[in-house]
Amino acid sequence: MATAPGVDPEVPLTQDVSWIAENYPLGEGRNVHVSVFLIRAGEKNILIDSGSFYHRESLVRRISRATAGAGIHSLVLSHSDYPHSGNIPAFRRRWGDFEIVASSGEPEIQGLPYARRSRIGGSLEVAGRVLDFLDPPLADRSHTSWIYDRGSSVLFVADGFGYHHADDETGLTSRQLPDGFRSEEIYTFHRDTLIWLRYADPSVLMGVLREMLEEREVSWVAPIHGNPIAAEHLDDYLERLEDGVRRIVREQAV
Amino acid sequence: MPREVHPGIHWIQEFGPDRPGIASSLIDRGAHWYRPGREIHVPQNAFLFAGEQTLLFDTLSPAADEQILADLETVLDGRALDYLALSHPDVPHAGNTFRILERHPGATLVAPRFGRTHELYHLEDAHKVGPGDSLDLGGLRLHFHDAAFLDAAMSMWMTEETSGMLLPVDWMGLPLMDGEGLLFADEFRSPVDVDRYAEFHGRVMFWMRYVDVARTQAEIDLLAERYRPAMIASAHGPVIRADVPRYFEMMKEVVERVATGGRTGVL
Repeated sequence: MATAPGVDPEVPLTQDVSWIAENYPLGEGRNVHVSVFLIRAGEKNILIDSGSFYHRESLVRRISRATAGAGIHSLVLSHSDYPHSGNIPAFRRRWGDFEIVASSGEPEIQGLPYARRSRIGGSLEVAGRVLDFLDPPLADRSHTSWIYDRGSSVLFVADGFGYHHADDETGLTSRQLPDGFRSEEIYTFHRDTLIWLRYADPSVLMGVLREMLEEREVSWVAPIHGNPIAAEHLDDYLERLEDGVRRIVREQAV
Repeated sequence: MPREVHPGIHWIQEFGPDRPGIASSLIDRGAHWYRPGREIHVPQNAFLFAGEQTLLFDTLSPAADEQILADLETVLDGRALDYLALSHPDVPHAGNTFRILERHPGATLVAPRFGRTHELYHLEDAHKVGPGDSLDLGGLRLHFHDAAFLDAAMSMWMTEETSGMLLPVDWMGLPLMDGEGLLFADEFRSPVDVDRYAEFHGRVMFWMRYVDVARTQAEIDLLAERYRPAMIASAHGPVIRADVPRYFEMMKEVVERVATGGRTGVL
């Protein structure tokens, strides 16, 4: 079972942003989220990422329930990696030719010739909502953007800020994790996902990351591959992340 | 038309769209190799290895779906495609996988072994390879390796033994001007130098701005020593067939340039 039965169709983060958590089991008691987020912008619904085709039926069902059948009006992609963009044709068949905002890469090369393009460092009004597209310090693909929703102060991030959560932690935010985040699972996620961290200068990387977070009010960091991190838990996560990056560098010495 | 770069090894190139945004950026910073008014392209390369058996390494992007099928037909000239190998399941590298497999249903799909999320890329049934694995095509012999400089975690590099070719995928790419398609690096009329490579890596390997320069340069030295390639065939740059060690030295400078100068843009 990819996503645990009984998981709520959506997990509210703010008044108008919710998390539709999908789970992918990695084995040995470890899992990774491959999620999407829903912004209710008045009468319009904006989806952040389309999720994986692996969760297609579940996503269609849960998005339909969460939007009372209205579906989505705009889709904003963090990047065009398949687990993030794998449901566009299926969603369009279901909900019509909604607007697609591609990440900052060349839309044609990413297989999205019909998409509106975002630019790192720029902002776009999407369904009446202003979204900022940020240069992501923790990412792998060149065309990845982090997306900051000014209306809710939620920062949507891929692929960094992930977490290899335990079987009973699917769909739990940092406020619901019984014992908070564990350093080991932050470390393993980043070690296995962002391979370039083996070359990183942790001080430089973490400095840029902290600066980015200090420049704006952040209510939640909402990772596609992790459990959402509430503002009050962000410092704790960052400390564990920095330890994890230092461990990756130490253990994978050239 | 594909170009044969070594007996039995054919270079298939998607030249890609004109990138005026990159051209503007080059003008703004006075890139010495760029001639204003010239088009700028970032190519996608695929390579067909034709021994007694055949293997295609990468698929080009979905924008070139008809091209890859036509070029394959030209090179195969009626022969079967035996293997389709993906360096990594990224859209510009793997976006035509199903089109190619529809046309060549007997081909075995080969994918990197790394990671535990193959199902999320429809690769659960692929033949998975990694360091230590080889494939003898009869006349050409392929070896698979961990990717040292990469974007997606599920990635691999490849070498071909008889040609001494290293295929480092996203590493060692660069932007081309119009007229520079399918040229060996030594055939360019304008410089193939650090500045041009830094333009590419400052976009694709933007993370180099966060690296420990000495540590990363040490890795490049190790790669040069480990592979000692006679040819380099990147997925986004010209094929290099002469003076190969000089390019490893250039890449060490590229790391320093990106780490100190920051990201040059996106692709």
